[in-house]
This record gives sequence, C-alpha cells and structure tokens, in this order.
Amino acid sequence: MIRGGRSYVTSPPSFSNDAKKLLVCTGNTVSVFSAATGLQITSLEGHTAPVTTLIVVPAASSPAQKILCYCWTASLDGTVRHWDFSGPELLKTIDAQLPIYSMVIPSLLSEPQVQIDKRRELSGKLVAYVSVEDTSVVKEGTKELRGHIRRFNLAKPRIPRGDTLKETEEPESIVISPSGEFFGIRHKCKIHIWDVPSGGGSRHAVSRKMTLHHSKFINAFAFHPTERIIAAGDVTGRVLIWRGFGNRKLALGNQKKKVRAMVDLDNAGVRGEDDAESCTTWHWHSAEVNVLNFSSDGAYLYTGGREGVLVVWQLDTGKKKFLPRIGSPLLYFMWSPDPTLSSVVCADNQIHLLKMPSMEILRTISGIKPPPSLPRMYEGLASTVAFDRSSGIAALCTENYCVQLYNLLNDRGISEIQVCERNHQPGDEITVVVTAVALSLDGSVMSTTEVKLPEDGIGGLVSLKFWVSEPHSKTFTLSTIVYEPHRDAGVSAIAFHPTRSMAVSTSFGGDFKIWVCNSDKNQADKDSSWTCHAVGSYKKKPMTAAAFSGDGTVLAVAVENVITLWNPDKNILLSVLGATLTPITKLCFAGTSEFLVAASHFPRPELSVWNASNLSLSWSYGLRIEAVTSAVDSSSFAVLALIPKSFRTDESKENIFRSRDGAILLFNGSDPKPVSIWTVMKAKGGSISFLEGDKSQLRLAYVNGSHEYVVFDPNSDESHERSAVDYDGLAGQEETGDAGYTSLYGQLPDYDKKRMEDAESLATPFVSSERPWETIFSGSTLNFPPLQKLCAEFFESLMEKRTAVVE
Amino acid sequence: MEEELRVRLNEHQVSKVFPVKPKSTAKPVSESETPESRYWSSFKPHSVPNLVSSVSALAFSPVHPHSLAVAHSASVSLFSSLSLSSSRRFSFRDVVSSVCFRSDGALFAACDLSGTVQVFDIKERMALRTLRSHTAPVRFVKYPFQDKLHLLSGGDDGVVKYWDVAGSTVVSDLLGHKDYVRCGDCSPVSDSMFITGSYDHTVKVWDARVDKSKCIAEINHGLPVEDVVYLPSGGMIATAGGNSVKVWDLIGGGKMVCSMESHNKTVTSLCVGRMDSAETRLVSVALDGYMKVFDYGRAKVTYSMRFPAPLMSLCLSPDGSTRVIGASNGMVFAGKKKKKLSRDAGEKKSLSLWSVRGQVDETRRRALRPTYFRYFQRGQSEKPSKEDYLVKEKKGLKLTRHDKLLKKFRHKEALVSVLEEKKPANVVAVMEELVARRKLMKCVSNMEESELGMLLGFLQRYCTVQRYSGFLMGLTMKVLETRAEDIKGKNEFKGLLRNLKREVNQEIRIQQSLLEIQGVLAPLMRIAGRS
Repeated sequence: MIRGGRSYVTSPPSFSNDAKKLLVCTGNTVSVFSAATGLQITSLEGHTAPVTTLIVVPAASSPAQKILCYCWTASLDGTVRHWDFSGPELLKTIDAQLPIYSMVIPSLLSEPQVQIDKRRELSGKLVAYVSVEDTSVVKEGTKELRGHIRRFNLAKPRIPRGDTLKETEEPESIVISPSGEFFGIRHKCKIHIWDVPSGGGSRHAVSRKMTLHHSKFINAFAFHPTERIIAAGDVTGRVLIWRGFGNRKLALGNQKKKVRAMVDLDNAGVRGEDDAESCTTWHWHSAEVNVLNFSSDGAYLYTGGREGVLVVWQLDTGKKKFLPRIGSPLLYFMWSPDPTLSSVVCADNQIHLLKMPSMEILRTISGIKPPPSLPRMYEGLASTVAFDRSSGIAALCTENYCVQLYNLLNDRGISEIQVCERNHQPGDEITVVVTAVALSLDGSVMSTTEVKLPEDGIGGLVSLKFWVSEPHSKTFTLSTIVYEPHRDAGVSAIAFHPTRSMAVSTSFGGDFKIWVCNSDKNQADKDSSWTCHAVGSYKKKPMTAAAFSGDGTVLAVAVENVITLWNPDKNILLSVLGATLTPITKLCFAGTSEFLVAASHFPRPELSVWNASNLSLSWSYGLRIEAVTSAVDSSSFAVLALIPKSFRTDESKENIFRSRDGAILLFNGSDPKPVSIWTVMKAKGGSISFLEGDKSQLRLAYVNGSHEYVVFDPNSDESHERSAVDYDGLAGQEETGDAGYTSLYGQLPDYDKKRMEDAESLATPFVSSERPWETIFSGSTLNFPPLQKLCAEFFESLMEKRTAVVE
Repeated sequence: MEEELRVRLNEHQVSKVFPVKPKSTAKPVSESETPESRYWSSFKPHSVPNLVSSVSALAFSPVHPHSLAVAHSASVSLFSSLSLSSSRRFSFRDVVSSVCFRSDGALFAACDLSGTVQVFDIKERMALRTLRSHTAPVRFVKYPFQDKLHLLSGGDDGVVKYWDVAGSTVVSDLLGHKDYVRCGDCSPVSDSMFITGSYDHTVKVWDARVDKSKCIAEINHGLPVEDVVYLPSGGMIATAGGNSVKVWDLIGGGKMVCSMESHNKTVTSLCVGRMDSAETRLVSVALDGYMKVFDYGRAKVTYSMRFPAPLMSLCLSPDGSTRVIGASNGMVFAGKKKKKLSRDAGEKKSLSLWSVRGQVDETRRRALRPTYFRYFQRGQSEKPSKEDYLVKEKKGLKLTRHDKLLKKFRHKEALVSVLEEKKPANVVAVMEELVARRKLMKCVSNMEESELGMLLGFLQRYCTVQRYSGFLMGLTMKVLETRAEDIKGKNEFKGLLRNLKREVNQEIRIQQSLLEIQGVLAPLMRIAGRS
C-alpha cells in the first residue's frame, strides 16, 4: 500500500544548518529534501498526528558545528520530539498531553548550542512556549477559549500543565524574534508580545507582555533580527512597520529611565496607548498579506500574499523589487544559512528554492497540486484526473491552466504542461476552465478540453487539444488544436481507443466525433496530427459519455438514457441498449467481458450493468457513482460510490464510517455482489483507476477530492503501509554541492584551510607582532588569499589587539 | 547522469509571460516546397530585350563561356551568357528555323526556310559555307556530338542529309520519312548515330556507317513529332508530339518507358537539364505556356511553371546556370542562377593573399593588444566546434506593443493600438484576451469617438469573414447596443453603419441561398445513400 500526495505546505519548512537540506512537514512525518537536487533523502517518522512545528537547532557560526543535525518537532498528537535528522534517529519524546499547534524555543536562538548543552546539564531546563488546544473544554461550546499559550520545560520527560500566558478562541501560531528575545501571537486586530525572561532558568521569572493594535485583522507579522521593529500584514494588503516597540513595557531595567523621557513625544502613526515609537504603513498588495519575513541582516523585508508576487522592500527607503508570476498564493518565505539560497512556499503545494540576490527560481520541490476550483456549472461533469496505467503516472488538472504529471508510485511531481497559454493570476475570476483530461492506454497521447467562458454572451470558445509525449523527457507537446470541435457545444467526454491511435469526443450538442492520428510512417512523430474521421449522432440528443470495448471493436456512446453501440471504423450504429431511468454520465466496459457499466446520478443516482451480447440489463444499484474503472485483461471492475448521507449519519453506523463518505466497491463481471469494499474519505471529486505495473501486479489507485491518494493491491489483505518513497532509487546520494562563499568563488585552496586551523588553534592569546598590512597586498593579485580570509586579516591587523583575553 | 536528468525535469519554469497569439490555422496538406522545386524556381528572371518575332530556336555554345545563339525571324543573334546582352547579329534570306554550335564552339550552323544551311564563324559576319541541296524549307540542322566535319539536316522535303562541311557536299541522303522532317538529334555517345522525327508520327534512328537510306530502327510516337532528344546515356530518347512527351528505350528494342501528358497544348521543345545533384531531368515547353520538369526515372512531373505566352523553344546552358525559353511573340524568358562563383573567387583571392603575406599576417594577429578595440572582440564570432558544450543564452521574449500594454493592464490602449496595426487576426486575439479578462465591454464603453470609428470600421470589414464572424457578429451587436447614443447622431458613422448593414444583409442572403442548396441536395443524398 502506498500512501502519498500529502501537503507540503501545512507549516513552514526549515533549512538545515549547512543549507543543504530542507525539512518539510508532510502530514505525520517530516520529510528531508536535498536542496541541491530537490529530491527526498529521508523522513522522520514517529508522530501519530500531523506535525505542526519544526525547529532546527541552530548552530554557532563555527564550521565544526555546522554539521549538527538536531531538530525539535511538535505535533497534534501532543508530543514534542527531538531528532537527529542525519540518521534519522529519534532522541527524545516529551508528552505534553495536549495537541500542539505551534511551539518556539527561545533559548535555542539566544544562546550558542554549547552553552545550552552545558546549562541543560546544570539546571535541567529548556523552556519552550507552545500554543496548545485545551481539549478538555472543546466539547462544552464554541465560546470557550480553547487556544492556550503555555510555557513548558522540555528538559523533563512529562509535562504536567505549564503556566498559561494567554487564552484565545482558537490556537494561534507563535512567532519568535530571530534573536530569541521576544515572541508573540496575533489575535484578531492585535499583536501580543512577550519578552523572554533573561537568564532563562528561574521558574518564577515572569515574561512581560505588551500589545499593539490595528484596525484590521492581522494576518502575519515578523520581528526584526536585531532592532526593535515589528512588521505586520493585514487582510487588506497593508504592511505596518512599528519601530521601537516595547521601549516602555519591555525595556530592560537600566534603560528604563532613559526611555521614560521619550514617552511624551508624539509617536507618529501609533494607535492609542501602544508602546512604539512610530508606525508606518506600506500598501502595495491588493489582497491579504500572508508572508512577512526580514532578511537575516535586517535590511530587507520580504512580503507576499494572494497575488503570488514576492516583494522585497528595502527597509530604510521603502524601495521595492518583485518576483512576479509565481502563479499561486504564497504561504511562507524562509531564508537559509546560505545567503544565496532561500525558499518560498506556495499554496499549490510547491516549494520553490530561490537563488537569492537575483531571485530566480532555482528548482522546485513539487507536491501534488490541489484540484482546481471549477465554476459551479462544471462541478461533477469535469474529469480532471487521468491515469497512465502502465507507469503509474496521473495527469491532474490544476489551478493555473496546467496539467501536472505526478508519479503515484514514488510520490513525486514529474512535470507540468501548460494547457492554455495564459498568465494565471491567483484570485482572479476564472474565465478559462480545463474541463477534461484523458490519457491513452499506453500513455503516449493526452487529450484536454478547455472552455473559455463568454463575457456577456460573446467570445466563448471550446477547444480540444491533443498532446503527444516526448519520448525521453516525460512531458507532452502540443500536436493538434481543434477549435470548437462540436460547434459551440461543450465536450462531455473523451475516450481513447485501447490499441490504435483513435479517440472519440462526445458533446452535449448531440454528436460525437471520432478522431484519428494521420501520422505517416516517413514523417517524424511531431508532424503527426489528429483529424476527424467520422461524425455520428443519435436522434439529435445530447451525448454524455463514451467508452471503447477492451479490444476496440465496439464504441459505446451514452445518449441520455440509452446506450448506443457503434463500429468505430465504419461508423455504423450496431445496436441500442435499453433505457436507464436517468441520463448516463459514466460508461465503462468491464475489461474484456461483454458487460458494460453505466452510471448516472441526476436526479436519481443509479449504477447499472448491461450485458452487451444479449442487450439486456444484468443488475443495478441505486448508488451515486463518482468514478468507474476496469481492469484491462480481467472482467473485474471497481466503482467509487458516495455513501448516502442518511445512511452515514445513522446512529448505529456512525462508528463504522466516522468521517468516511465514500466506498470503493470491487465487482467481478456479472456478479452483483461486490468482491470487496473499502471505505474512504473525501470521495467527492475523487477518482480511481487500476494500475498494471511492470510486475504484472494489479493495483488500484484512488485519488480523493483533495488530491491525496493511495495505491493498493485489491486482491491481497495487506494492511502494512509502505512509504511511497523508495529510498534506494532516490537521491540517497549525499549532495556535495557547495554553499555560501564556496558556491560563489569556488573551493578554497588547501593551504588556506591549514592556516585557518592554525589561526584557530592559536585563537585565544594571539597577539599580532608583525604588521601584516604591509605585506598582505604586495605581490601578484593572483597570489592573494581569498577575500574572506584577506578582509578578516586586514581588519584584524588594523585594530589593536588586547593582550588580556577575557575568559 | 540519470540523476542529473531527473533534476532538470524538476525544474519547470514557473514565471512565464505569454504574448497574445492569434488562433493557429490549419496547415496546408501538401508541402509547398521540395528541394526540386527550390532548384527550378531559383533561376532569377533576367531581362532580355524583346525580339521581333517568334523565337524558333535557341542554342548554347558547348564551351565556356557558353554564348547563346537565338534564332528569330531572318536572323541569328549571339548573346553573351554572362550578361545576356546581344553581341553580334547574322542575317539570313528567310526565316531561320534551327541553329547549332560545333563541339568546339567556334562555328555554328543555321538553316532557313529558303532551303539553305549556312555555317558561320562566330567572329565573322560572312558565312563560311552555304550548303544548298534541300528543295524545301530546312527544319533542323545539327552537328554530331564530337565530329567537326559533318552536319545533319532535315526539312520539309522529307529527306535527311548528311553533309561534308568542308567540301559543301552531301555525303548521303537518308530517305524514309513520308512527311516533313521536323527535328533530329545526334547521339551523345557515337558520332555516327542520329535520330530524326517527322510529321509522319515516326522517329527513325540512323547510322551513317551502314547502308545508305536505310534506318536501323523506327519508333512510332503516334502523333506528329515536334522534337526529339537523346537522354545523356545515349540509350534512351525522348520524343515530343502533340500534348505528350514519351521516353523510349532504344537499346531495349524501342520500347516506351514512360509518357508524360500533363501539357494542354502541343509540346514544342525538349531539353535535358542537369540538377545540382547530377541528376538529369527532362524539361519541356509547350504552346500552353507551361514549362514542366519531368523526372523520367520516377515518371513524375516535379515542377511546373507558367509563362505568359505560347512557348516555342527552350535551352539550358551546359553548366546549368542559365535557362532560356523563347516565346512565339518574340519574348525571351531568361533565368540565371545566382553565382556560387564568388565564393570560389574569394577563396582564391585569400589563398593568394596568404601565400604572399602569410608571414606578416601571422605576426600581426599575435600582436593584438588591449589598447586595440579588436582585442575586446576577439573570439566573439568563433563558431563552436563539434565537441564543445554549448551554453545557450535564454531567448528573450519579444513583446509587441499591445502585449506590453496588456501586461500593464491598460486594456483600452492595447485594443486601440492593435486596431491601428490593421492585422485582423491580432485584433481578434486581443479581443479574446480581453474577454478572458472580462474587460472587453468596459473597453468598448470607454472608447472615444475616433477610436469608436476605428472599431466600427474594423467590424464592418471583418464581421462577415468566416473565421471571425462567430465572435465579431456578437461583438458588433453589443457595440451598437452599448454605444447607440454616440453613434446615432454622428455623420461620420453614417457611412460605416450603412456599409455594415449592407455587408450583413449580403451575408444573410448568401446563407439563405446556401440553405436552399442544402435543401435541394439533402433528399438526393438520402436517395443515393439508400440505393
């Protein structure tokens, strides 16, 4: 059983200390990706509920500690875990007993690692601030304050309760300043900020609190790494910058008096009694701001939001730079220890790694994209998922007029095909819809239909496109466009012939067309084109579904209530199969057998199986069917049925179904009794397909309404879950890419390293007796030591060293 | 390697700009251009001063520089083949019917309708020899392929004569044709073999060495023969008569190999042309004004070209660089290929340059200094060698003006700017893009009067064009509805509206008549389908 399609974007990812790895929360696990290749290396498994927080333990600047690979995770299962992710190895588990939504550990940031270790040994304390949901009050009503901000000591294996700092209606996420001095939460129009008691140890040290107010709901905020500056973004797209916050309330004791004097000054833009020197507003974003992050040196502010544009503000001047057309709302922006690398996380399950000063997208860690939001008239009619049965690749329609090819067997995005050449603006009104995608049985041809919705009744356009696969790169190139394949009527279904290059498209306008590929043998593949071979219609009624039989000799086309059988080559009507009660929406031949499965759902759902040899109804159920698939060389077929609501909410059965709203039923040919049944979640909008892999093993793939999927063997009872990622076949190779300085200027020569080591070994009582600035720049420029080395040495030599070294 | 490949697959570009493109149209089914047609159409037309009357014969000198002899009315003009300008003119007593160069190009023979055959030195005005023996107009004269001493001629008296030029005597009279002898050719492999064609439908093969007045083979073309020609192998001949051209195998006993009947009128002249690839083609011209290139190996017409007059004669220069066609109204259609000579010449020049100053040049090259501007350009025009890894520069996307405006969301300006361009496909594409952005009607309602006039003009011209009508008809309606007040009173729109109305009415009438035709046809089709 392979489970996959998890969201990469539930919580912010985190870079490792050497910026070579990216840790991403994926459901119950944490996946570690290589930043150099974008492929998964390993995963941390252990949590039993979604992981919500991921904190990589930062290392001090010395290179020896850069290889430290420790991280803390917190999850909704109420545990906090400490990992060594190079292993990967679970070091420690702490049970907090309450679902944790967010966690910060200030002392990790404020003090170097070595000292923490020492102190932990001494005091046995590591303080974390967590945002938890108090499950004890959940059931009593919605007005209760369920979200709590508490202080925990992670040094102890079990945490009793902790001190509660604040209670809110919903659990909020905690934001911590990069220096580890402050942390805060946003709550409606307010930001609450606490300072971390210095000297971290004593239990009774109380954090002081202050609040900043705004007139709009605040979406996100961030602390400046060095100064007392807070930036916040609200739902209307404004970015607010408070400077010098907390001078009164959070100031340290000795500074207090100085600040007092300034209180009477007029604080520009600051609301009410808020404790801040000034507040400025920047307004560029047209919609809500989700991303706010200061650069590591504090000179720039990165913002982004629903428009899918990453904006870089120069903090002092307010000048802007843009990375436009990312194509999806932005969720998080993370910079890495390597100054040339950062990442931006998008709502469409993509993590883009950016090359930093130029902000180019270097590569993309691509998860399965969420389904597009269709206009209401197309709901239930569109078939937005198609499967390549042999290779286990699914073609999924996505938001930005693209079709994503996703390998279900190893849970990885392969490529993306721009179906419609338009610039996508997230949040715009949808005017072009990709309504259907279909793949031929061998996966070499793809067909898509798109509908351009008219404005005031003019300019509507339906087009049908055929794509052929490139043999080496797993992507498709456009072969043929057919504008208005059925005049202005919409295309209801596309089906491919199982063996030849032939396809059929049916329309609501009352006709179907058979398309053939006219590739000559002496022509290259890319010159081939698809032309109309035949047109058929039956009593001018709308045609709603089509399917080829297993050997391709019979074409079944559903005409409202009846099924017509055609000879696809000669375009002759063979026979007509009786009438169902309601219009048919799905048709499928049950493998090579003579049975034909038809599904209809409006106004009365029905699943009926017809015998094509004696033209009669075999059996039928009153089930609402979401998808039908059949195996190629056996007579079994599977349907995805929605369980009726009345049945589900029945008292006695509530325990059986819980939140599952659908069932996959596996039938064998004419037998009306299902062979097996599985209940599934989010079945609405889902689809299923048999996969016939290379191992001649029959597997069933189910993709649910939010594009999570599972691949399993329908004939065996295996319940153990295999991770989708086959580590051996993957990027197991440790990446050797250079980061930082070395990536810019290349590897340093060896002698430098030696000298550095020498310098380090001599570090403490080192007094420079010579005057290096006299010799340092003499000689050829080629022989100069590298810049990094040179500057340090030069400046060091200019400054007078104190001989007494503080210990 | 595989790892690397996978990585690259992952890197799909996210940020993209798509310019507005018109809908693609269907490609033509047949290929418009083949290497063959490219070769034959690459003869650049070359103007030649018009001659007085029908150009009855053309001949190229077999030696370089291949001067051209043109027979027209009672004279023969010599042209230089390089410039195609007339250099010398020879007068005759009657209309000249045929002209032929000797194998060394120093002499040429011509015959006229008075019955004489004359031999000229190309450098002298007076005839060297005048051969008189024919009793009727002479129709063709031919030098054997390499033989410099004899001549072959034939005429309306039905006799083919084999001449000794030096003594001006007839060596033999070849009798056998029952009608006018119109044409003949000498074998390219043997100096004593020739063929003649006559209006008695036959082509006879003669050998000067065997018994006199007896042909050694005979071929019946079936129609009066206008021209015959040996194919380069010497074993096959091509005959032209009536509308057809036929290729015969002489060695195989005079069997027909293939025939070409794509001319609509009498084929008047044949010629063998050699292509670049040393393949030979049969070129024919006819009174219907067509020149056709016939690939006799594949029995297929590979190129055809139309000229605005009935064509009488045709000749291709031996080096394949010049094609001359004579028409019945005195026009000469000459075509010359572009010289590839220039490159050879350039090479030669550079070679000589190298040989003289090679040493000097070498040292000068090495001495490029940073003070020279060229120093900074060195190596920029270097071509990559085969094993070099090419780092491709990203191609910048070229955006047109309306694309740039659309990028800045200046919708109305984009529409106006594309309307000014007068490319209907682009206008419709921009309009469709505006529909997708839900901005078209807003643009229309915001247009100023002059811009509205432009839009109405566009709609009037293109709304009934089949490709755009589905979209533009609806738009026209909307425009007239929304801007009714602005349009009503204005004089300048009156004409436009009148035209628009007329166009639409005309289209409706066409549609109605088409429907009527369909109504007539449908029962017929149904009956035909039933039977």
